[in-house]
Amino acid sequence: MKNALNIGFGVLVLAIVVAVSGTFYTLEEGEQAVIVQFGRPVGDPVTEAGLHVKLPFVQDVRRFEKRLLIWDGDPNQIPTKGREFIWIDTTARWRIADARKFLENVATEAGARSRLNDIIDSVVRDQVSGSELVELVRSASWVVPEGEILEEVPAEVREELKKAVVRGREEITRTILAEARKVIPQYGIELVDVRIKRLDYVESVREKVYARMISERKRIAARFRSEGEGRSAEILGTMEKELRQIRSTAYRRVQEIRGKADAEATRVYGAAYSGDPEFYAFSRTLEAYKEGQNKNSVVILTTDSDYYRYLKQSGGTGATRQIR
Amino acid sequence: MPTYEPEDIVNDLRKRAAALGSRGIIAGIAGAVLLIFLWSTWFTVQPEETGIVQRFGAVNRTVGPGLHFKFPDGIERVRLVPTARVLKEEFGFGTIATGAAGRTQYAPGKKAFKDVSLMLTGDLNVIDVQWIVQYRIEDPVRYLFRVRESRQTIRDIAEAVMRRVVGNRLGSDVLTVGRVAVSAEVKEEMQKILSDYETGVRLVTVELQDVTPPDTVKPAFNEVNEARQDRERTINQAQEQANREIPKARGEATRTITEAEGYAVERVNRANGEATRFRAILTEYQRAPEVTRRRLYLEAMGSILPEAQALYIVDSDQKALLPWLRLESGPMPAAAVKESGLEGAKGGRQP
Repeated sequence: MKNALNIGFGVLVLAIVVAVSGTFYTLEEGEQAVIVQFGRPVGDPVTEAGLHVKLPFVQDVRRFEKRLLIWDGDPNQIPTKGREFIWIDTTARWRIADARKFLENVATEAGARSRLNDIIDSVVRDQVSGSELVELVRSASWVVPEGEILEEVPAEVREELKKAVVRGREEITRTILAEARKVIPQYGIELVDVRIKRLDYVESVREKVYARMISERKRIAARFRSEGEGRSAEILGTMEKELRQIRSTAYRRVQEIRGKADAEATRVYGAAYSGDPEFYAFSRTLEAYKEGQNKNSVVILTTDSDYYRYLKQSGGTGATRQIR
Repeated sequence: MPTYEPEDIVNDLRKRAAALGSRGIIAGIAGAVLLIFLWSTWFTVQPEETGIVQRFGAVNRTVGPGLHFKFPDGIERVRLVPTARVLKEEFGFGTIATGAAGRTQYAPGKKAFKDVSLMLTGDLNVIDVQWIVQYRIEDPVRYLFRVRESRQTIRDIAEAVMRRVVGNRLGSDVLTVGRVAVSAEVKEEMQKILSDYETGVRLVTVELQDVTPPDTVKPAFNEVNEARQDRERTINQAQEQANREIPKARGEATRTITEAEGYAVERVNRANGEATRFRAILTEYQRAPEVTRRRLYLEAMGSILPEAQALYIVDSDQKALLPWLRLESGPMPAAAVKESGLEGAKGGRQP
């Protein structure tokens, strides 16, 4: 039968194709594989990409990632040593270092993730609850701030800022990595890095922190204003002092100059008038009369006065009277 | 093989086979397969891309832009990676659309963005930092085959590093002068970590965008800024007043001193003048004291009396003058003068 021959030929071709394709397999770059014979791993894992040979039918290829993989933990609410509750979100990088161990122990990436969850979460929890918040936030390279930048920092915080960072975030992260690594190699996993991705206050604490920040700002604002007023008063005070100094110095100079001039004048007058004090008194009195005279003066004189003595009598005894 | 297909298809094919002949079928299939093979033997690489050719999965060669040939699919595969393009990651905000139609639009603030951008500073305050990371794929082989999810890795590392750097500084520092230093530090540290991971990524730049206090706290921050302005203003006003008044006072002081000096000169000159005059008069007086004395007296009276408002000359024998003479201070009204019934020589003209 021609049909039967055709079928027989077809089966043969198919068998050859299956056998060949079962013998050769390709491994993508970034992959590694473990050859499994009846469910049991055989030989070393294959890590080189390219075309490879295995036994058809009896051997099976299990492929795994060779690349760096992400582990991203759920954010955890953990209290720190200072009893502040914080959200902490860690992220880790890992790779399958020993594909055979990996296959034997956790089999899949999902399995690996769940192991990593258990291990990293507990280590992070231990480390965070054993550290002050400040240690988690700052790093070992913390430089105590100084100078102008402190202007906006309240005094009690300044003291706190001076505290040296004992461990710092990097050191805590390194400890987490080291602690986690101790347990992990048995799963054929290499933990490359663990990092604290996010660290934040829990909602209720955050509100309090905001309230604190607001009150801090208000205090700083008040301080700035009063500093301004203080400086202003200082400047005005200095100004007042200087003004008084200038004015009083000037007054002193004026008095000195005038005094000296008055003294000189007094000396000159004295020297001149002592020639005949009586005549000086007489002539000066007459001057004074002239000067003291004004339009509103009313003068009452008797006919006894020297000026009018001749009004009553034209001469005689009265004329000989002593004139004062 | 058509032989194994269900009955109706078999029948159908048999009819066609009868029409074409079995050679025709084989030729047709072979032609189609060949066409597919040939189709996959060439590829073009765009100017900003690099092509990576994998033979049986293993990296065989990388090729630059242009037309290239390879073995057909199944043997060689090509992956194209945009190595020359600068790629960008945004943190704390999201660009919806850029540029062509006008201004850049940003996604409205969402909680997811705030989760990224809110972080703790060294003084344990909260700050809202938005930033971008620009990078290039420097080594496409590493980028593809050393790290899975390279993009997420870049994002995770960027967040971790930014938080560490900001946590190591004061909030006010990051808000003001520290911006440049922060981005430089983040870039350097990120690059080091990404190189350690062998991501094949080269950072172009890390730049801080909006750095602000959290929304609730913003008004308080603004108040501090206002207060700082107030402080400067108050101080300047005081300084201005001082600058205005002190030079003025100096000028006035100089003026009063100069005036005093003027007074001194005048006083001494007058004294000397008067003294000289007195001496001169005295010399002459001593020659005829009696006459001179009388003359001086009469001259003086003669100049005084015409100036007076009123002059009363009373007889020395008249004793009871005061009871009826009404004396007033100040000007004496004309009526009063008449009333008094006295002989008033008002503005007396007698010499």
